[in-house]
Amino acid sequence: MDTVRYETVDAFRDHAAALRGSDLARRRRVLVCCGTGCLAGGARGVAEAFAEHLPDNKQTELGLVVKRTGCHGFCEKGPLVVLMPRGTFYRGVKPKHVPEIVERSVVGDEVIEELLYVDPGTGKPVAGYGDIEFYAKQTRVAMRNIGLIDPANIDDYMLRGGYDALARALSTMSPEQVLQTIEAAKLRGRGGGGFDAGRKWRSCKRAGGDVRYVIANGDEGDPGAFMDRSIMEGDPHAVLEGLIIGGYALESSQGYIYVRQEYPLAVEHLQRAIEDARGRGLLGENILGSGYSFEIEISRGGGAFVCGESSALMRSVEGKVGEPRAKYIHATDKGLWDRPTVLNNVETWATVPCIVEKGPEWFTGLGTERSKGTKAFSLVGKVKNTGLVEVEMGTTLRQIIFGPGGGMLDTGERGKFKAVQTGGPSGGCVPESLLDLPVDFDTLTEVGSMMGSGGMIVMDHSTCMVDVARYFLSFLVDESCGKCVPCREGLFQMYQIVSRICEGKGTPADLDKIDDLSQAIILGSLCALGKSGPNPVLSTLQYFRHEYEAHINEKRCPAGVCKALITYSVVNDRCDGCGACLSACAVGAIMGTPKKGDTFKIDALACDRCGACVAVCKRGAIAVA
Amino acid sequence: MTQSTQTQSMTTEVDTRPAEEILGQYPADARYLISVMQDIQLRYRYLPREALERVAERLGVPLAKVYGVATFYKAFSLTPKGEKELRVCTGTACHIRGAPLILSELTKRLGIKPGETTPDMLFSIEAVNCVGACALAPVVVVNDVAHGNVSVTGVRRLIKAPRKSGGAGGGTNKTTKKQDN
Amino acid sequence: MEQTGPSTFYMTINGRRVQASAGEYVLDVTRRNGIHVPTLCHHPAVEPFGSCRLCMVEVTKEAWKGWKGLMTACLYPAADGLVIETDSESVHRVRRNVLDLLLARCPDSGVIQKLAAEYGVTRTTFTPRENPDLCILCGLCTRVCETAATAAITTAMRGHERVVGTPWGGPPPDCIGCLACAHVCPTGHITFEEHGLTRSIWGREFELERCADCGKPLPITRDQAAFLCRRQEMDPSYFSRCADCQRKMVAERMGRMARWQTLGLAQEPAERGKEVAR
Repeated sequence: MDTVRYETVDAFRDHAAALRGSDLARRRRVLVCCGTGCLAGGARGVAEAFAEHLPDNKQTELGLVVKRTGCHGFCEKGPLVVLMPRGTFYRGVKPKHVPEIVERSVVGDEVIEELLYVDPGTGKPVAGYGDIEFYAKQTRVAMRNIGLIDPANIDDYMLRGGYDALARALSTMSPEQVLQTIEAAKLRGRGGGGFDAGRKWRSCKRAGGDVRYVIANGDEGDPGAFMDRSIMEGDPHAVLEGLIIGGYALESSQGYIYVRQEYPLAVEHLQRAIEDARGRGLLGENILGSGYSFEIEISRGGGAFVCGESSALMRSVEGKVGEPRAKYIHATDKGLWDRPTVLNNVETWATVPCIVEKGPEWFTGLGTERSKGTKAFSLVGKVKNTGLVEVEMGTTLRQIIFGPGGGMLDTGERGKFKAVQTGGPSGGCVPESLLDLPVDFDTLTEVGSMMGSGGMIVMDHSTCMVDVARYFLSFLVDESCGKCVPCREGLFQMYQIVSRICEGKGTPADLDKIDDLSQAIILGSLCALGKSGPNPVLSTLQYFRHEYEAHINEKRCPAGVCKALITYSVVNDRCDGCGACLSACAVGAIMGTPKKGDTFKIDALACDRCGACVAVCKRGAIAVA
Repeated sequence: MTQSTQTQSMTTEVDTRPAEEILGQYPADARYLISVMQDIQLRYRYLPREALERVAERLGVPLAKVYGVATFYKAFSLTPKGEKELRVCTGTACHIRGAPLILSELTKRLGIKPGETTPDMLFSIEAVNCVGACALAPVVVVNDVAHGNVSVTGVRRLIKAPRKSGGAGGGTNKTTKKQDN
Repeated sequence: MEQTGPSTFYMTINGRRVQASAGEYVLDVTRRNGIHVPTLCHHPAVEPFGSCRLCMVEVTKEAWKGWKGLMTACLYPAADGLVIETDSESVHRVRRNVLDLLLARCPDSGVIQKLAAEYGVTRTTFTPRENPDLCILCGLCTRVCETAATAAITTAMRGHERVVGTPWGGPPPDCIGCLACAHVCPTGHITFEEHGLTRSIWGREFELERCADCGKPLPITRDQAAFLCRRQEMDPSYFSRCADCQRKMVAERMGRMARWQTLGLAQEPAERGKEVAR
């Protein structure tokens, strides 16, 4: 299909220039989001409807192109359709809307109000992409192309400047110069460790031998995080370009992209991008005639959070169980197959081309003193606008949550902000008093949390913090590889203690026990999964000790979550006898005569507090105490 | 879950030809163990012992090690899965938005626990890690079709007897079909 | 691995200056100098693993400006100028908790009870395991099986569900009955039986080799003998005699050789058969 191949840098540059000056570049764009989120909402049907109503010849006639793009990061509002250059942003699009969109907004020049996004603050529909607070307040670097290009089309990537950085590196810079550029940019890894990438690359370069590997960590195991997914699905070439440049700097000839098993679409898109890049001569033997050769292979994960840990990941690529190694053996000395290896996160690699293209000073001009550039966050939980937000380091939590986030989802006392969990299972909760904390690697660590890979889970007063600690512990117990005692046994026992507290069987001595055990786990664990395992408990204890004490001393769950400590009852004044709760109850704990609201009752002994009745009751007639 | 001592629950012999085909697509090198097993899992919907014995032989990996890797990773199952695999996402966003409720509802309605399959082999329930669709929490993936914003009543629609194409929710999440190379 | 500095150098352990060489681990140095550091998952027959965490020691260096790290002595490379404490408060906190946790896992293990008592733990403060066995998941058995034998057993599952066992829980097809796993197990969890000519372990039965001369069972199974012959390219007849008969045979041979010498012969006249392997 694609017969273009660049034998030299000039050939690439000429073609890129031609593309960018062509008619194709000038056409209007109808962008249909086909990221995992929108697909779950029915985007495929929408895309097919567009294909039907706007076949190729019609597209040419109208001077536009229809593209299926990756995730915009605003999944809750999907399926999304964006019309560029106008920026018209339609949300919740269904196949039945398509003919009207084509007639009125594509052929015609109108905006269909009913499909526009409504700003939760003003209550008014917003016409343009650029006016939507969610996007307006973002500085997209790593996510610069997602949602605007077809990830399966390498020309689209090039239209947005793709592979210019690679061409520049190969033609005007030596490997050493590229390395120095990254060092000067003070790029810190975006996977969670925040380690200086330049330093890591430098130690790998210094290690002996002539075989080195570069790896992109696409394991993204933190629950609640999906930035890397959207980058791999929506802009796979950005990752490739970064890896090739990195390989060049490190004089490596083999790269790997490790993608977690739960992301099949990402694997597919990356696979396609690799084939296309190879076909064009941007990957493989003698890239752009420079003499530099580099290959990339995709390695799929088997379903293990621990494989996000660098040494465990490498074992997994080697076909073994994902057991980490002690950190005294640096991967930059002995990594994959005991060769010097650089492993960085997908988001880090996606940032590399920008730094090479625009220069390190551009990058250091963004962000804070110790954390340069931008960071992509996945803002989820009890906020109005859940999705992916990329902002400059140093933006405050409040600005993120109440700006692009649109503020809290629910109203009333229970809907008020309580905490935001950052850094996934290795991180901690940040309370309201610290909302004005500027977000960067170090500030979050100083308050007992960490940035981690960028997951930000907003919680309101319907969330029980002890239950949150229990949840994270249960996750870690499930994901522990089991090699070392402190993590395998220690986290399990900690989970037992916190569970008992949730069940109303806790004692004050438990809190001291948690303290002592946590210290032992932090000091004694082999890898970061164990070492940071106690963080969720310790940080919730630090800021929400009163909740733990209520569970222990009063056998009460203030948020009304812990099943053993709550009872469900019918508020007969509000009940209209519709019987929805009765049908919803799977254990038959509700009785009542239909249409007679005052007869409905819940048998507290039979009730298992599953919450089904609360969910279906339209009158708010079920109380949780 | 204790170490599985379950042998083939089917009375028929396992056809190892698809496994041989898959093995033929990879070099005979131990490093491809996980990739090979992923393809076999996709093809058979579990990892039959006979297939793994062939894998051990072909890739030169001791059978015990193959078994160790197969039981370490969540992607693999040593027992056959049901026709409809219901994977309830238990990521943090989904947890907060009611995943435990969905899980307990499914457990109650189908009479099996997460990790198990109904005796009639129609349904399997799994509690899985974050699938990356957090903005649509809570999410249930039914045989690679992701359903977002699942409610309690929505759960009941998901467990109607398997029909030909997709369940409630409409959208299709593409699976990776391994290209023949 | 990068090696900077001299190949022998000095470290300080518990205030004592000791010599060490490049390529050694801290544990090797402590052992050589009679400094006690407890271990459970360490064994000279296999590479260090770092799973029990008992051998943790506090490490610092001048260049670290007061920062101290806890490292497992079994895996931490000895280096010039290291300052090590083997019994600091942090070290003891880890050891005490590790043993307390292991006691919860294996409350009936005499070995663990004894070690735990040394750190003040007589009963576990955690929730004991239901139906406990004696396996502490040190991994020595699987590692030694992989190194010295056929990798017949494995760790299965992960995390708290992790177990040491066999493929599909059944008799392991690759086992040769060598008992390396049972010998190396620190708690006696792995058991075996021997009756007459049969040895059973892991649900499998093995036939023992027997002495070609006296018929006594030898402490090696036929599978094991075959494996060793394959691996070391040895002659099978090496395993055909018990120790006593072997000695007798060698003594007789030496007697015969002495006789030939007195007879002035270079070697035994026309004697076929039993060769003594090198």
